[in-house]
Amino acid sequence: MRVALFAPCFVDHLVPSAAIAALRVLERLGIVVDVPDGAACCGQPVANAGFASAGAAALERFADTFASYDHVVVLSGSCAVHVRGHATGIGDAGIRVAQRTTEFCAFLHDVVGVERVRMLGATLRARVALHIGCHALRGLDLARPSELQLRPSNKVRAVLATVEGLSFAALARPDECCGFGGSFSIGEGAVSARMGRDRLADVQAGGATALVTTDLSCAIHLRGVDRAAGGALPMWHVAEVLAGMAACDALDASGGER
Amino acid sequence: MRDRGEPRPLPVLDATGAVDHAAGAERFVANEARTTWHDASLWFVREKRDRAASTVEDWEALRDAASAIKTHTLSRLDEYLAQFEQRATARGITVHWARDAAEHNEIVLGILSARGARRLVKSKSMLTEECGLNDYLIGRGIDVVDTDLGERIVQLRNEPPSHIVMPAIHLKKEEIGETFHEHLGTPAGDDDPDALTAAARVHLRARFLAADAALTGVNFAIAETGGIVVCTNEGNADLGTALAPVHIASMGIEKLVPRAADLGVFLRLLARSATGQASTVYASHMHAARPGQALHVVLVDNGRSAQLGRADFWGSLKCIRCAACINTCPVYRRSGGYSYGSTVPGPIGSVLTPGFDLQKYASLPFASTLCGSCAAVCPVRVDLDVQLYKWRQLAVDAGYVSPVKGWLMRRLGAVLADPALLQLTVGIAGAILRVVPRPLARRLAGAWGRWRELPEMPAQSFRAWYRANRRGPD
Amino acid sequence: MPLGFAQRIVSRDDLVARFIDSAAGAAARVVHGTRAELATLVAGFSGDGLASDGVARFDREAQRVASRCLSMVPGVPGTVAVPDDPHALADLDLLVCEGVLGVAENGGIWLPASRLGERSALVLARHVVVVLARSSIVADLHAAYAAVDVSAESFGVFLAGPSKTADIEQSLVIGAHGAMGVTVVLLDE
Ligand code: SF4
Repeated sequence: MRVALFAPCFVDHLVPSAAIAALRVLERLGIVVDVPDGAACCGQPVANAGFASAGAAALERFADTFASYDHVVVLSGSCAVHVRGHATGIGDAGIRVAQRTTEFCAFLHDVVGVERVRMLGATLRARVALHIGCHALRGLDLARPSELQLRPSNKVRAVLATVEGLSFAALARPDECCGFGGSFSIGEGAVSARMGRDRLADVQAGGATALVTTDLSCAIHLRGVDRAAGGALPMWHVAEVLAGMAACDALDASGGER
Repeated sequence: MRDRGEPRPLPVLDATGAVDHAAGAERFVANEARTTWHDASLWFVREKRDRAASTVEDWEALRDAASAIKTHTLSRLDEYLAQFEQRATARGITVHWARDAAEHNEIVLGILSARGARRLVKSKSMLTEECGLNDYLIGRGIDVVDTDLGERIVQLRNEPPSHIVMPAIHLKKEEIGETFHEHLGTPAGDDDPDALTAAARVHLRARFLAADAALTGVNFAIAETGGIVVCTNEGNADLGTALAPVHIASMGIEKLVPRAADLGVFLRLLARSATGQASTVYASHMHAARPGQALHVVLVDNGRSAQLGRADFWGSLKCIRCAACINTCPVYRRSGGYSYGSTVPGPIGSVLTPGFDLQKYASLPFASTLCGSCAAVCPVRVDLDVQLYKWRQLAVDAGYVSPVKGWLMRRLGAVLADPALLQLTVGIAGAILRVVPRPLARRLAGAWGRWRELPEMPAQSFRAWYRANRRGPD
Repeated sequence: MPLGFAQRIVSRDDLVARFIDSAAGAAARVVHGTRAELATLVAGFSGDGLASDGVARFDREAQRVASRCLSMVPGVPGTVAVPDDPHALADLDLLVCEGVLGVAENGGIWLPASRLGERSALVLARHVVVVLARSSIVADLHAAYAAVDVSAESFGVFLAGPSKTADIEQSLVIGAHGAMGVTVVLLDE
């Protein structure tokens, strides 16, 4: 089984600690992980802004870079959805990559299995609010969206439930969008920020001591909104929790070996 | 009549006359308390919808069925329209065809003029809003009264509806109380919803009794039987059509279903999705005029066949106008109906309206985070988020985004495709951020920094760390 | 295209109970009776004033004894006849009619024009009494459309409770334009 880990452009440069955490988690699970050079981005940031043509080169590069792997584990639900939905349009490598690209938690849940994840023995004394990015939620079936009348399910929660000491805060609107939305956060900044504040207010009302997410793009936005209002809510990627790196605010980490 | 300092509820237009959704939205959210209230009102409806949907065991299968029936109908729309016309005509219903809004309005005026009708009572019809019928008729001496309570409220205020099911959702009861005090003579300061509705009932009952003609929308038309179905909670469509000597029903050509039995699927979904009710109070099936009455059905295209011909967007014609996508939309809830500047706001408005005029409405497909809640809630499975994405591409291709944004995005695309260039760019940005004071940095970061603190720049990227710690020195 | 919504087998009592729940959810009042006692029951309703909540709080007419009654149900006496001009029913207090079929899932009752006497009575009357045989209740709208030919008459309606609106700040108000109250008399037959 050839597994590649992909840290999308913004994770690579803005939240490297999460990618380090993910790598460590996969390594501790006995998975041989490759982090190939070649692709920095899947092209989603420009494609969602209406410039799919400008993002095509990045997506092609992504497909070429990862075509030979059995699993491409992406540290962003929304990038995984973009690749799965759009790489199919760029030939055989694209189709292959689209099928094999998945998100970190989905990989742990579907391929590794929750029982093996439990053996990591992660602990975190925190009451966390779970924030699954909207694309991951509805595009990858990471959890049942609140609109659908299907049996409840939540892969991310199942993975996090293996963490000792961790409990979940109940949110009034469990899957309300945080307002990031890529270029939306710039083009519709006022509404975007308002959505972020509302999401954080719900997190706070639920008594959460931290926010844990599948999508660091959401977290970068939420963190910016929170810090601008003088807040200090810790925000972690699921991988940071599993790797035991969440004890201090991992988003602040410099990314060096600790 | 409005809060002091409250801006007029019109969309913001840019220099070219195009709707600037972001600017309208920014104006809306500037009033924080009102935004909180507006968001909560709509979320309340979304929650009612969730509860109603949860009582139906086969809900998701029902959505599949509804989508399949609409897809099938749209694939043979010409045949079903012909069948409908033939069956309706056989029942004594006069069927008219209108290519566009102007033709529709002329047909309606023609029917009224032929009967010497001057007083028209209307029940809810977003199609007539789309066609600008009220202004057209009023300008030609017809007394037009909207009878749906919400529509009457906004009509008295000379405002358009801000929502397709709840036209006055943007108004507080105090504002409605003032409007009624001014126009209906209710006591000053009275804002009790029961009392205001009672006053409207008396006011409108007189209009119903005096009407020469009644105009309704159509929720569904049945090809097999040649009949139409009109759903209301207030009973205004039934009052109008049961009293007036002429009934005009205006419908978009996409409202057809093949068979009466199909209605079982759609009526189970419609009210639950719209308001969380198990059913509307009245679901009226009209298959012929009352004795002594004339019944006219106006079939309106107005851009629908063009939309049907668009491979990426024909699915929007499955829409049954329940507004569930609007209620759930986190952007609509915080930007208000007027920010869209279109008859239909929210996600469905943002995929329908660009079909009329992409240049004018190019900002609407961008008024979304593509969160997908709209598509997941839609009873007929319109893939709204996918269509929003596709309209964005077309808006860009047509050159309807600012040249600066276009240049930036194309540059960004090139940078993202090249890891070395990206590394260089981030390195420069990081270096700047490290020397520039935070407040200035936030200003330099433009729209991001205006609303948020900037992220910390780590000392090292993941890739750099990986090279150093896993691959050993190069 | 077959719809494929299989009817689960449920007992009649269960269907009736669900209908009563749904009707109550639509703000209809449900009472039980027999055909023999209908006239007395209806006379009783018109004596207590017909509706007390919603718009009726502000409508003195709604609270007086019903004197203008159109009855389409044999054995229940009315005071007005079906007029030629629907406007003549403008002051109608009470319409008494018999439903063809009730829908358990939403409390709707199918009323074709012939059962209303005059279409306008449905919405002009301050109060509507619908007589409905328990045996006529079906599970859902699929069953309802299978059972009735909605195109058989010029007009037919599924009626679910009194007229209502929530157009003012989402407050539910009973009695917007049509009936301020709907009473369903479930007949044990
Ligand atoms: S697109 Fe779907 S959810 Fe939106 S109004 Fe139409 S039917 Fe309702």
